[in-house]
Amino acid sequence: MGKNNLIQLMKEKAAGVGTIVHEISCVSEAIKYAVDLNRKKKLKILTCPGLDQKDRDSLQDLCKSSGMNLLKEPLRNHAYLIDTSLTWVDYGIAETGSLMLASDSEDIRMATMLAKIHVAMLPIAKIRLNTEQIEAELDEILKNNSPSYTAFITGPSRTADIERVLAIGVHGPVELHLLLIKEMKS
Amino acid sequence: MIKTAQDMKSYKKQIQQALADSFLRSALDEFNTVYRENRPNVYKDIDFNSLRDAIAENKDSLIPFLEILFEEFKSNAQKAGAIVHRARDARQANEIIARIAKENKVKKIIKSKSMTAEETFLNTHLEKQGFIVTETDLGEWIIQLKKEGPSHMVMPAIHLSRYQVGELFEKQTDLKFDSENIDKLVKVARHELRPKFLEADMGISGANFAIADSGTLGLVTNEGNMRLTTTLPRVHVALVGFDKLLADLGSALRILKLLPRNATGQAITSYVTWIKGANQSLNTLSGKKIMHVVFLDNGRLSLSKDSVFSTSLRCIRCGACANVCPIYSKVGGHKYGHVYIGAIGLILTLFFHGKDNDRAIVKNCINCQACKEVCPVAIDLPHLIKKTYARVIKEDGKTPVKNLILSKLMKNRKLFHFALRAAYLAQQPLSRGKSMIRHLPFFMDKNHGFRSLPVIAKTPLRDIWQSLGPELKNPSLKIALFAGCAIDFIYPGQGEDLLKLMKKANIQVDFPMDQTCCGLPAMMSAQEKTAKELAIQNIQAFEAKPYDYILTLCASCASHLTHNYKKIFKEDKESGQKIKLFTDKIIDFSSFMDKVYTFPQTHENIETKVSYHAPCHLCRGLHVTNEPRALIQKAGYTYVPAKDEEVCCGFGGSYSIDFPEISSEILKKKLDNVEASGADILVTDCPGCVMQLSGGMDKRQSPIKVIHLVELLAQKK
Ligand code: SF4
Ligand code: SF4
Repeated sequence: MGKNNLIQLMKEKAAGVGTIVHEISCVSEAIKYAVDLNRKKKLKILTCPGLDQKDRDSLQDLCKSSGMNLLKEPLRNHAYLIDTSLTWVDYGIAETGSLMLASDSEDIRMATMLAKIHVAMLPIAKIRLNTEQIEAELDEILKNNSPSYTAFITGPSRTADIERVLAIGVHGPVELHLLLIKEMKS
Repeated sequence: MIKTAQDMKSYKKQIQQALADSFLRSALDEFNTVYRENRPNVYKDIDFNSLRDAIAENKDSLIPFLEILFEEFKSNAQKAGAIVHRARDARQANEIIARIAKENKVKKIIKSKSMTAEETFLNTHLEKQGFIVTETDLGEWIIQLKKEGPSHMVMPAIHLSRYQVGELFEKQTDLKFDSENIDKLVKVARHELRPKFLEADMGISGANFAIADSGTLGLVTNEGNMRLTTTLPRVHVALVGFDKLLADLGSALRILKLLPRNATGQAITSYVTWIKGANQSLNTLSGKKIMHVVFLDNGRLSLSKDSVFSTSLRCIRCGACANVCPIYSKVGGHKYGHVYIGAIGLILTLFFHGKDNDRAIVKNCINCQACKEVCPVAIDLPHLIKKTYARVIKEDGKTPVKNLILSKLMKNRKLFHFALRAAYLAQQPLSRGKSMIRHLPFFMDKNHGFRSLPVIAKTPLRDIWQSLGPELKNPSLKIALFAGCAIDFIYPGQGEDLLKLMKKANIQVDFPMDQTCCGLPAMMSAQEKTAKELAIQNIQAFEAKPYDYILTLCASCASHLTHNYKKIFKEDKESGQKIKLFTDKIIDFSSFMDKVYTFPQTHENIETKVSYHAPCHLCRGLHVTNEPRALIQKAGYTYVPAKDEEVCCGFGGSYSIDFPEISSEILKKKLDNVEASGADILVTDCPGCVMQLSGGMDKRQSPIKVIHLVELLAQKK
């Protein structure tokens, strides 16, 4: 499958399960996106575990100037507070619109499980067609003798436990945003 | 708590209650329809059958080695800091988990959904020990508040309406809710349960996969509560059945392609999580979680060595066998299983929860094959249900009298046929010369009055056969008729019509006189020995001449002769070839007319509208679906499709006598659908279905005629 078709499929399938997808050009755009989104939703508190210092600093600055709060890790101490989390994800699985995220770090887990909104950044080059195509990478993680916690995330949290009516955002994030970043190399 | 009926009398009472619950009835009926209608769409991108077979084969190759896989899992998981236990039975599993809790000074426990924990009644055990346990899966939380067991393996609270849920939540929170708004109810759970996650000392989960070569657990979920359960508390305990062990990641990923699709119609669930070892936790001194995995045997290891039942360990708990079951859709979860629900529940209950809990429910299967068709791991569920029934009877040490009489009678063909002839005489005062009995005599249970009963023919087909002049001079083909009891003794006219058709095409039909009942009723009442004896009698009866085909007008006979005869003689290597010679020749009427007879296309257009009922044993048993519909049209009739054509009519032989209250409900829906189609005639190709459907139509005094396809085709000049 050609690169463009793969991106197209990823977008289609992710949108199909309720993920809000955008293509953007760089990380600073993602940072702006997260803050804008937070503002639009009248939310205040962000987290960004796993981002490198430079990006974290620019998010911090933007938060400050926008009257928002960027939480410091460990997040366990502020578990009730998280509104929006901005994190990287490791791979995209186009066939199902899923994101693979190595979440060995507790902070990454807290951020992506407790937030109302999860904004995930994925370099376009890391989109794979299906689970077969990430099997080797995942297996390598699992066969390593150290502990690991790896997630496939597909859309926001959902349930149909009452009268089989679909409801979004039962325990995990109510919204999942996927920002596909063009310029990054894999 | 769970109260499964242990005898038929109390089971019948429960069934009546379930049938009277209007929310349950409409919810499950609708679910059954929606699930079936969505299926083609869910599977449009992938090949269900080949994936299913690959998974089944893979699972079968692992089942004999579960203990080896366990050791491998253990060694790999322990390298990453997990502690792995094995529990012989439910009690031991619960004790291990309670001990872990005590050792770690746990007070509050949260749980994500685990059928295995339901199986061991873990909550009850932990609560007795003084722990506070909160279920966090929405459905599980609801039934915990309601103090009930799950009514479905995937949707545990499917039996409750939003209003009932609202009431429960109001009691729990002392707040008022607008129960109409399901979104709001869901948010109540989010709001109420968040603090519980944060306060808990220990989280208990199940797992969908235990991958041996890396020591990883795989969990497939939607709500996000499992992720919180396995992350927030200090301690994580996973309770996992031995049957969840897989060799490698590839096997798990393959199952992952079918499990969510089959369970909830999703290509993948919101979360699939791979957990290995003791992950980081900033809640402990060591910085690592306290991670335990408890493997539950509880009969699984002995099942893995059982030549008949080992395939039941393939089950991946998708719940689909309940979704499509016509009985489940009528009586619902709690009456269709003990802890495990649906077809697989009727089987596993015996092994996990004992014969007393299975005694009544295991009888409640009409053998419609719907579950088998959707099972993503190709378990022959209807067959195993009957095998389970036989085992319950054996363990109980007493065969129900009804089954015994049936068995005795059938074994002796002459006696059996004598009894059928005697029945003709006994019916005379009731039928008053008509072909059906509409009003039952006062001494019969009124539940049976939902359909008119057919009358036994005055002269069975076998007695008039020679007088019909079946011999032809130079026939193009020689076939034999396997009549089956219904054609022989109730509808000999259908046999006459067949002969008429065949003569037209210069096909000679023989009626071997030593043939007897196919044996399906014996199998249904778990009389395996009798079923085998009847099979031998029939095979011998047809051995005399080298027929090109053995044709039958009865879909149930056809399917039984084709599939079950092989199963009956599975162990018996010597007769293998002989059986195959016999079963290979069996052909159902529609296939014969379409493929061998090549029934000609007429050019006239008959305005009479004909609707079709697909017998379970034809459409699912033999996968014959297009032929009968094509034949109706070739004969020039206007075929009008009805809704749910392939859903069971509710007959099921003795099922409709054992469970008339359910049979009549299934029949009612069927007839409503046919009436809505605007048909003048309802055609089917099984005399059993004709009996049920025409009995029902007659009772409601509907003008729609019900006939066998052979009658429709024979009407042509
Ligand atoms: S065979 Fe039919 S009635 Fe029996 S369990 Fe399966 S679906 Fe239900
Ligand atoms: S028996 Fe088959 S259909 Fe039923 S739950 Fe198990 S896997 Fe699903």
